[in-house]
Amino acid sequence: MLNALRWWSGILLAFSLLALSRVFLPLPFVIEVVIFSIYTMGCSFLLGRVGFISFGQPAYLAAGAYGTAFYLFYFGANPYVGILLGVLSGLVVSLIVGPLFVRLRSDYFALVNLALAVIVYYLMQKVLADITKGDNGLWFLTNIASTPVLDLTRPNQFFVFALLVAFAVWAFYKYLDDSVFGACCLATKINEDKLEFIGYSNYRVRLLAFVIANTTTALAGALYAIYLGFVSPEITSPSRAADPVVVTILGGVGTLYGPIVGAFAYTGMKDVISKLIGNWELFIGFLLVFIMLAGEKGIWGTLQPRLEKLFLRGKAATTPADDGETRR
Amino acid sequence: MAESGHSLVVRGLNVSYGESKVLFDVDFTVAPNQVVACVGRNGAGKSTLLRSIAGFLKPLSGTISSDGVDLVGRRSYDIARLGIKYVPQDKKVFSDLTVRENLELGSYATKDYNWDRVHDFFPKLKELMDRKAGFLSGGERQMLMIGRALLGSPKVLLIDEPTEGLAPSIVAQLKEVFGALSRNTALVIVEQNLPLVCAIANKVYALKEGRIVAELAGESIRPAACEPYL
Amino acid sequence: MMDAQLLISGVIFGLSIGAIFFLMAIGLSLCFGLMRIISLDQLLYYSIGAYITYSLSLASGSVWLGVLGGMAVAGITAFAVERFVFLRIYERELTFSMITSFGILIGGIGVIKFFWGVVPRPVPVPTLAQIDIFGTDVPVYRLIVVAIAFLVYGGIWLFLNRTITGKAIRAGIENVEHVEGLGINVSRLFTITFVIAGTLSGLAGGLHAPLIMVDPQMGLEVLAFVFMVVIIGGLGSIKGTLVSAFIVGQVVSLGSLVYAPLAQMAPFAVMMLILLVKPTGLYGSTLVKK
Repeated sequence: MLNALRWWSGILLAFSLLALSRVFLPLPFVIEVVIFSIYTMGCSFLLGRVGFISFGQPAYLAAGAYGTAFYLFYFGANPYVGILLGVLSGLVVSLIVGPLFVRLRSDYFALVNLALAVIVYYLMQKVLADITKGDNGLWFLTNIASTPVLDLTRPNQFFVFALLVAFAVWAFYKYLDDSVFGACCLATKINEDKLEFIGYSNYRVRLLAFVIANTTTALAGALYAIYLGFVSPEITSPSRAADPVVVTILGGVGTLYGPIVGAFAYTGMKDVISKLIGNWELFIGFLLVFIMLAGEKGIWGTLQPRLEKLFLRGKAATTPADDGETRR
Repeated sequence: MAESGHSLVVRGLNVSYGESKVLFDVDFTVAPNQVVACVGRNGAGKSTLLRSIAGFLKPLSGTISSDGVDLVGRRSYDIARLGIKYVPQDKKVFSDLTVRENLELGSYATKDYNWDRVHDFFPKLKELMDRKAGFLSGGERQMLMIGRALLGSPKVLLIDEPTEGLAPSIVAQLKEVFGALSRNTALVIVEQNLPLVCAIANKVYALKEGRIVAELAGESIRPAACEPYL
Repeated sequence: MMDAQLLISGVIFGLSIGAIFFLMAIGLSLCFGLMRIISLDQLLYYSIGAYITYSLSLASGSVWLGVLGGMAVAGITAFAVERFVFLRIYERELTFSMITSFGILIGGIGVIKFFWGVVPRPVPVPTLAQIDIFGTDVPVYRLIVVAIAFLVYGGIWLFLNRTITGKAIRAGIENVEHVEGLGINVSRLFTITFVIAGTLSGLAGGLHAPLIMVDPQMGLEVLAFVFMVVIIGGLGSIKGTLVSAFIVGQVVSLGSLVYAPLAQMAPFAVMMLILLVKPTGLYGSTLVKK
């Protein structure tokens, strides 16, 4: 019983803090942080656990967003169904491209994902403009029906919903971390030969991780769609490909709470820096280089070991060591 | 214990690959023009020792010096220019380049364009000068690798398993070459072929699980004497 | 359906685009082959080449002077980046260099925005002359661009095959350790290769500038295409780069004559097909470990 409580304690604490921050910070900001964290989680998982960086996460974000958007624009009004369809779209896309992408070497993988993002961008902007309305985007805010219990059309209640969804996502990833599958993912990053020797298939492990990560990304897309009531090709524009990568590194690759910390810092900095300097790219580019040269651990990645030592003396370390060394 | 005057002096060397430690407190000396053999099982750390001396691995602790000059921390091209050349185990030459061009690269840094010496040791190479190195046989490649390293008249040659996978006739040739080389160059040879090393070596170190477990010299060098340490 | 005139224009257009892609892809390919890094910041040197060309041609009235200036500044910037950043990360894995170089690219875009603002700028074409080929008027400038690309290919070939530094680079692409073991200063080889790549990217930017508008995001817009070329040709192969630059150029150009939006996407589809069959690209090697 105590063990179960311990297991949940981290997530409960993190999300309580997040919920608490709503008191001090504007609603749009916290909602953005929550959804962005989910978006980043997929990227962080892929990079930190499996060792693959993807410059094409916007593609899967778009899959989720447009999946939801099509439903709500053309067919129905129930936002929950919309979200479900968005997630399913992401799942389907991952299952289609996964088997090819996952076989590639890490650099080809990154670029092939970028290519996919570009393809999706052009698809949504030009080729399928008839149904996507191109750059004008799909507007369906008024289509969304009010739902019982939590009315997703109301931002406050949407926030609660998003928070609950994020909580579930984190519980899921924490479970993965502790499971055999999680160990396999790490193994595939560190020593693929050994993993094959003990009977696992690198390909299958990677494929499963790929699908899970990108379905999570699609979930974020679906949430964005509901929240904004509007989807345009801009969310999958190649220039946005940097966002999840930067946030992943900023927060701390492969750590459980890195995406939340990173999303918080990134969104916060964006607001502040934009008002001060106005030249966002300059700042974020050099920040990224700085972090990489300074040890690539990110904010949470640096804090976590120290906090663990401070508060959890005696508890065996549960987070797998991530020394950033692969043979790729 | 004079440090200068020795072609190679290794003291208390500790080396690790990432998390795993491979060499423990290794002491190793090579006198000028001496033939020193290093024997041991696979994985004992022999290649690691040579690579550390050549500068491809940074040791955790210990000293490596040659004629009083400290080698630790230097880039491997620096160490090569100081006269300590490494001939790797993998028998890979630059396959897209011709034999001539391979030698050119060897000459470039050492400024030694006297290829006659190389041709004297390896007459076969003279015929193959314009052949692309990728088309050479295993034995020819080994000859090219050693020939390339000879340029600049190094004082120490670190040779990693030269006879592995080669036909007996080539091995015999190499044995003669090593004998002739040792008149002007110290040789450190890592080998599994015990009869060969025992025939030409002045000193034999046995390496087991990263530690020097025996040092044989002179009369006591016999294959039978080496075996217990493998 | 497609008349001869359109076809010929399309082919020339494709050749000139391919030429630009080729100039950039060579640098990327060499940097990967020798140093095992993915240098996304080459797109920055491309942008720098374009912007310096813009400013210099505005100031001096000569576009060609601008292109030379663009190459020079791009090369110098590449040198600085190599010495300050890449020097520290050569030993790390590929993803590391990808992320770091991406940061440099993004940061560099910020620097460009700082100096030149966000408004796209036009660069005049050095010559408006047209030449008649099989009954079609073809802009001479585009032919010049193609000619320059072939000259560069010839120059690179001579460099790699007839100079000792070039041979050392080719040897290093096979095995850097062995080159270092022969006493050759590979650090200097890396710097030379990186600066060559940066200068060629700057040349590509300068040549491309008159054909498009220079804007801060231009590097990102071309990024995907250039990498398409590199991946299809295989990282580390010069011949492969030439062939795939040609292919991608033609696909983009002729494809847009058939169905415009699809043409932008076609290279990606081609790339995916090729990777399906050969996961390391047409001429790429399966080498992974350093």
